Amino acid sequence: MKIAVAIKQVPDRDAPVRIAASSKWIDESEMQWAMNEPDAYALEEALLLKEQAGGEVIVVSAGPERVGSTIREALAKGADRAIHIVCDDLSGRDALGVARLLAAAIKPENPDLVLTGLQSEDLGLGQTGVIIAELLELPHATMILHVEKTDAGLKVKRELEEGWFQSIEMSLPAVLTMQSGGNKLRYATLMGIKRAKTKQLRTVNAAELGVDGAAVVALDQIAAPKKQKITQILQGSAKEAAAALVEKLKTEARVL
Amino acid sequence: MNSILVVQEARKDGRARLFQETLVAGRKLAGLTGLPLEAAGAGDPNKNIFLEISGPPPVAGHAVQHPLLETYTADGYVLAFEQLIRKLEPAYVVFPHTYQVRDFVPRLAARFGQVLIGDVTAIEAGPLFVRQLFQGKMSATYRHTGNGPCFVSIQSGAFRDDSASGGAMNIYHFTPDIPAEAIRTRPGEPFRGSEQTVDLGSAQRIVSVGRGIKEAENLPLVEELATALGAELAASRPICDNGWLPMERQVGSSGQTVAPKLYLAVGISGAIQHLVGMKGSQCIVAINKDPDAPIFEVADYGIVGDLFELVPALTEAVRTAKQ
Amino acid sequence: MMVLLPTLAEPQHFSVWEKLVFVALAVASVYGFWHRFGPILGKILQSRKDPDFHLFPIGKRVRDFVWEVLCQAKVIRERPLAGVAHALVFWAFCAFALVTLNHCATVFGAGFLDPDGRVGRMYFYFAALFAAACAVGIFGLFVRRFLARPKWLGEVSWGSGLVALLIFLLMVTYLAAFFVSGAGDAARALWWAHTLTLLMFLPVIPHTKHLHLVLSPFTVFLSRGGFARIPPLAGDEDFGLVAGKDLTRLVSLQTYSCVECGRCMEHCPANNTGKLLNPKEVVLGLRGYLNEYGPASEEPLLGKYNAQEAVFQCTTCGACEFQCPVGIEHVPIIVGLRRGAVNTGAWEDDHGAKLFLALERGSNALGMSTAERDKFIEKNALPLFNGTQEYCLWLGCMGAYDPQGREIVLALVRLMRYLGASFGVLRKEKCTGDPVQRLGNDLLFQQLAEANLETLKQSRVKKIVSICPHCVRTIQEDWKAYGTPPEVEHHSEFLARHADRLPPVKNQGRIAFHDPCYLGRYRGVYDEPRRVAALVGELVEAPRSRERSFCCGAGGGLVFLGEEKGERVSHARAAELAATGAGVVGTACPFCNTMFRDAFAAKSEGAPELVDIAQLAAKGLPE
Repeated sequence: MKIAVAIKQVPDRDAPVRIAASSKWIDESEMQWAMNEPDAYALEEALLLKEQAGGEVIVVSAGPERVGSTIREALAKGADRAIHIVCDDLSGRDALGVARLLAAAIKPENPDLVLTGLQSEDLGLGQTGVIIAELLELPHATMILHVEKTDAGLKVKRELEEGWFQSIEMSLPAVLTMQSGGNKLRYATLMGIKRAKTKQLRTVNAAELGVDGAAVVALDQIAAPKKQKITQILQGSAKEAAAALVEKLKTEARVL
Repeated sequence: MNSILVVQEARKDGRARLFQETLVAGRKLAGLTGLPLEAAGAGDPNKNIFLEISGPPPVAGHAVQHPLLETYTADGYVLAFEQLIRKLEPAYVVFPHTYQVRDFVPRLAARFGQVLIGDVTAIEAGPLFVRQLFQGKMSATYRHTGNGPCFVSIQSGAFRDDSASGGAMNIYHFTPDIPAEAIRTRPGEPFRGSEQTVDLGSAQRIVSVGRGIKEAENLPLVEELATALGAELAASRPICDNGWLPMERQVGSSGQTVAPKLYLAVGISGAIQHLVGMKGSQCIVAINKDPDAPIFEVADYGIVGDLFELVPALTEAVRTAKQ
Repeated sequence: MMVLLPTLAEPQHFSVWEKLVFVALAVASVYGFWHRFGPILGKILQSRKDPDFHLFPIGKRVRDFVWEVLCQAKVIRERPLAGVAHALVFWAFCAFALVTLNHCATVFGAGFLDPDGRVGRMYFYFAALFAAACAVGIFGLFVRRFLARPKWLGEVSWGSGLVALLIFLLMVTYLAAFFVSGAGDAARALWWAHTLTLLMFLPVIPHTKHLHLVLSPFTVFLSRGGFARIPPLAGDEDFGLVAGKDLTRLVSLQTYSCVECGRCMEHCPANNTGKLLNPKEVVLGLRGYLNEYGPASEEPLLGKYNAQEAVFQCTTCGACEFQCPVGIEHVPIIVGLRRGAVNTGAWEDDHGAKLFLALERGSNALGMSTAERDKFIEKNALPLFNGTQEYCLWLGCMGAYDPQGREIVLALVRLMRYLGASFGVLRKEKCTGDPVQRLGNDLLFQQLAEANLETLKQSRVKKIVSICPHCVRTIQEDWKAYGTPPEVEHHSEFLARHADRLPPVKNQGRIAFHDPCYLGRYRGVYDEPRRVAALVGELVEAPRSRERSFCCGAGGGLVFLGEEKGERVSHARAAELAATGAGVVGTACPFCNTMFRDAFAAKSEGAPELVDIAQLAAKGLPE
């Protein structure tokens, strides 16, 4: 099975995020970068499928030069080859614009399956995979935890709200967006990195792909949220504190 | 016919809360743009599509019905709503941000050359749509700059509904043209995860108990709270070591790592071995009698006091709130 | 008139037949020896060369050889009675070297020691003393091994019995020759008895663990240098000890040198708490592997002879290596086997993967957000290092994120301020990589070491002081493979140097100090933390302290892995510390601290107070 995995390099989840002077994006100057975790799960699923049924795993990623390190990490973990869409204005494109780039690079490969993470840890839009399916005119499913190859195509396990799940059957080719946690991620090994040096990493400029980059949705401004996380110690008698807590959980935290 | 189209999602349990919230958002948008409010919903021709609502009703409710829409599929819903939208030409299409919406609306929007502005927490003059970035660390405002409908989805709980009871809507039926071969996925019946194993990793709410509980005999106190909250029970390592709870309920560096929406730590001091297992939780509540307990460093809400008084009080308060 | 003292009786004349028989037997004996020893030597020499072995400087090698081999120091220190018995046997062998040569020469009439001459006589008496001591010694050892049977000697071995008998006979036939006349048949019979025993002994050597007679002097002399030194990988195809072809000459030599004495096993914390790991079996397993597959094999080392599970139960405490009297270096062997599994992705462990993934993308082994470290620094107004201060105070993962570790840091900060030492903390630190290096992930370790070395260089750090012996070791030794680390010392060394300026607080009761493995055995620092602790109370030595300190169980990356099987190492040691009756247990490592905290917490009452020596010393400071 030929599987294309679209991955994104995002700021390290635990690193502090500072707003750039322009307020239009974050200050990237001292940023640490890592592979988007849901995409790591997508890659893991692709590698497992390849190990079971044979085939090839191609990793595709768009972004500036620094994205190369994340692509090499994917190659070190077992992907066979990679395509780097060099693009310096990724944050200026909307989800449709980015999906167009990825779809344009993926289409000539004619993969049996396209996997990507459910959403990214920075923007969290959760749409790129679905839009790629639309652009490639392929069936899709989202929030997938597990993929099984069947004679007719695929049987996948989809997560629903509140602890429910659903199986979906579909034929190939198809697009899936993967939920985190379905498998155990593998770590990068020295052997993997050494082997990765011999694998093909093709770069293509965004301009060469000839897609429309105009955005239909624009990010106006970024700001720190009005509420900072401070520990609120609730006072009063047991009854009062309990009531206050329930109120906060309902209205402020909205977890009840 | 520019309008604001608010789309309802029918839930198996019939709860109308999401629709209410989406309507509130729609009304806000209507107030900012001066456009009329309409509603839409999709489903089986034999069923009543629309749920009861409160507050001023939309001027029209469009019931999109077709046998192939009885079971949700992305292909079916995209096709059906595409046709409705081409017919009605709304300026805004507003959805609740549910798993189902995340599954088909991006595709629907792409069909119109648009991008969904998802998981919106506020709507401001402009209109500008506010959503969270970097897992809640930042908020961002977005503007719609394209030609064509603007697709928006609303975060659950972001728009609270306070309206009084409403009136009736004019219902219009719409039957889309859906050829059988357009549906390319075959979904099965929803099922629960296995009941035997404890899956703390997917629990949305967790009540976790530590050494403050003193004895195994006192556990039922906390179990009641967990039941009232609809939460899973978990524990720090010493509790599991003593055999008071099974090892699979252990949260921490040598147990499970969890990230639920709500993590309630009862009588847990917050040693690093425990913290690393739950620090990713969305909302952390700590109950401990020691005001210097490290757990309070990571908690969003804390109560310093005797858990033997606080836990029953909390259980009571939760039960009351649920009524 | 001369007093007639007994002289050694030697037959004066040997017939042609006797000479021929002797030559034939000698040839057979040497052949028997070489038949087994040759291939072993071959296997050792065919193993690949150690990439970082340096014969020079030779001074330390000579010193260690004299102390450990000639003086038998390690053999005696740990097991005095048996050790002295063995030492006597060894010294007898040394003394007998000339005797044996002379003995074989006499058959050709070429004996060079005249039993009637003064030199000859003195020498034979000298050897006789040793012979007597050796006979007694070997008899005692035989009784111990076959009748007393201590468990770490393992199963009864008939090879050992045979060798004991042969040695005994050699000594007895030698001594008996003083009491017969040189001219008679008795002398000739004794001569032949001694000769036959000797010629039987030679081929037995390489077939039993007595091969150590030949090899162990070389093994001790040719050690890697340093303690628990993990060698760098050599080249692009080196992933550690994966298969036979990865074994190096030192490793092969060491596996064939093992005498199966079991000192390593006796001191192993994993083995003492019911785990699968047995350091003796790891070494013997490699020997079994070499015997079956040889040094060029592609067969995985972790398979038939050694289990992956066992190898990952090691805390790298180094007690095994410290005790070994024949110079086997267990820690690099075990880490080498781990490297082979981890660098190739063959190790599948959920907790291990979690640790690696946390460090792949983050900065610390605990997976915490760096914002937490920043908050700690800000909240406590810790000065940032700006290149002008004398010390860089390295927080480490535990000092930055663990509540107890932070308390230790804050105590040290108070002390440094009181002492007027200038210091600062770095804005950014990554984990030194200790757990990752000991678990064998060289990719990740290189990334961490290089990133940290770059930060230190840019920040112009000259001296580091750290609360964690693991950080100290890793910075000073393991980072050398990737750059030049600055000077680094442990806070106990810093505080001990200034101890006379610190106000004592007497009457804090009795303190049992636990020697951390990475401070004690790894660094040789035992007295400094005691000097600091003594400011505050009366020191009480726990059983198994100083070089024999029993690990807390956290090392080797194990604190980040899942539940242990069997009894918890930390609980075993905590119980031992509590049983001293001391009211305070002093630690000098944040990991020991956290392990014992859990262990004492599991006891419902009566647990001693657990504090770091910095916290002890800070008790005396004015508020």
